[in-house]
Amino acid sequence: MAQVKVAELVKMFPPSSKSGEYVKAITNIDFEVDGNVFVSIVGPSGCGKSTLLNILSGVETATSGSVTVTEDGMPAKLGYVFQDARLLPWRTVLDNMLYVRDDEDAGGREEALKYLEMVGLLHTVDMFPGQLSGGMQQRVGIARAFSVEPDLLLMDEPFSHLDAITARSLRDHLQELWTRTRKTVLFVTHDVIEAVQLSDRIIVLAPGGYIYDDIAIDLPHPRRASDPKVATLQAEVLGRFEDMQAKVGGGDDEVG
Amino acid sequence: MGARLVTATTPKTDYVHRNPRWARLRRFLRSDRGATWSAAVLFIAAWQLLTLIAPRVPSPIDVIQIMFIEMTGGDYGSIRRGEFWGHYGATLQRYGIGLAIGFVAGILVGALIGTSSLARALINDTVLVLLALPAFVWAFLTTMWFGIGWQAPVLTVAFAAFPFVAVNVAQGVRSIAPDLRHMSTAFGVTGWKRFRSLTLGGVMGYVFAGLRFAMIVSWNGVLLSEWFNGQNGVGFRTRFWFDANRYPGFLGWVISFIVFIVALDRLVLTRLQDRAFRWRAPVVETQRTPSQRTPSETR
Repeated sequence: MAQVKVAELVKMFPPSSKSGEYVKAITNIDFEVDGNVFVSIVGPSGCGKSTLLNILSGVETATSGSVTVTEDGMPAKLGYVFQDARLLPWRTVLDNMLYVRDDEDAGGREEALKYLEMVGLLHTVDMFPGQLSGGMQQRVGIARAFSVEPDLLLMDEPFSHLDAITARSLRDHLQELWTRTRKTVLFVTHDVIEAVQLSDRIIVLAPGGYIYDDIAIDLPHPRRASDPKVATLQAEVLGRFEDMQAKVGGGDDEVG
Repeated sequence: MGARLVTATTPKTDYVHRNPRWARLRRFLRSDRGATWSAAVLFIAAWQLLTLIAPRVPSPIDVIQIMFIEMTGGDYGSIRRGEFWGHYGATLQRYGIGLAIGFVAGILVGALIGTSSLARALINDTVLVLLALPAFVWAFLTTMWFGIGWQAPVLTVAFAAFPFVAVNVAQGVRSIAPDLRHMSTAFGVTGWKRFRSLTLGGVMGYVFAGLRFAMIVSWNGVLLSEWFNGQNGVGFRTRFWFDANRYPGFLGWVISFIVFIVALDRLVLTRLQDRAFRWRAPVVETQRTPSQRTPSETR
């Protein structure tokens, strides 16, 4: 049960040319997440979603403001699912699972195998990532992130590079895993429909990097895409999203 | 034979062998392997012909005979024989120790150049200069520094091998995708484990490419070094026959060290490389029942 506090966060990127100006990726973001909730961060491209996750995970540093991720006052343990699987191609599936673990003994192996089984990939343990399809690789990536038993799970558009059918099936896998483990999740996506199906709360970012809207989704998990209640809510949230685009513009071709 | 019906799917054969043995021979001669063997046979025949017009060229038979005596011992005039294995043992020891030093140093320095841009700015040019230095310069220099003894051939090998390994490892380290580094950082993988799995795993192919060049170049180095400073070894023995004006012995030793390096490359290095690149092997279809397949599998 992690506590995430993002306060007055600003991120500027240095200019790409000498005469250029600093690029503002995040203008000002303030929010808190507490407890075992699934939170989506939705926004058109260029609103600083991925930058926000990179700062949370420590890959990038903030220009100003603060980000704290704690677990009962201690630094929290993070799990990460990326746009692509990011497996070490020269290590087997099992070795990739063990790579992110602190314990590589028999107990660690057992834990790794447990999560591989949850995504239905127990038969691939000795295979190399290159021998798996894109969807299977991404499932290994998801199993890897869950298997470190993170306090906070960060997911950066994990289904955006997959075809629609594969993505739908992986969403079901993800929901099942999440209802079994109930981690705190921050899920970045540009897909409003996906966000409504998966999350308890949706934070909408506007181009320029500030929070435009903060929507609570109060439906029981797991949710089927075919459920009329889900569909109705999806339409409603998509409407609010389109309103935002009409007002502030940007990235319309990326929203689905 | 009557008329044959030829359709698009009938394989065209313009000869028919009654005897399957001849058919097999003919197939062999037309294969790539057959061509390789034919080339070898033709080469030896040409060599034998050459000895007829050039009397100072030793014939294949002479060479085989003297190398046989070198390997097995036996009496051949006043000179003691059967020293082949002793000389090879001495050379391989020097070669092995020198390679180990050059290899380890090359990996460490290469990893440093690959990971730190400051280290790269500092050392890279030096490594390139070393790369450009031919092995015989090291053979001379180390003899000047250390005189006659074990140090000169060992260090010649180490100096000749080192830059090839370092340059390749540096290239390999730089080629590791930043995405995989980010992943490791996000999961908090650091230290030895990260170096071993991410860096070493990624550069393995480059390490073998470097090692292969290093082994070939430093083999020349150790032979040269022994040629003018050794008391024993392959290079020393080759020079012994040269100085004795006995060309079959000289040529036999030259052939032996060519065979050695080719065999090493084919039997050891290529296999190691294949093993390191197992993960690039073509997709293996696993045997699974349809129920194990999920709709998410696009393949």
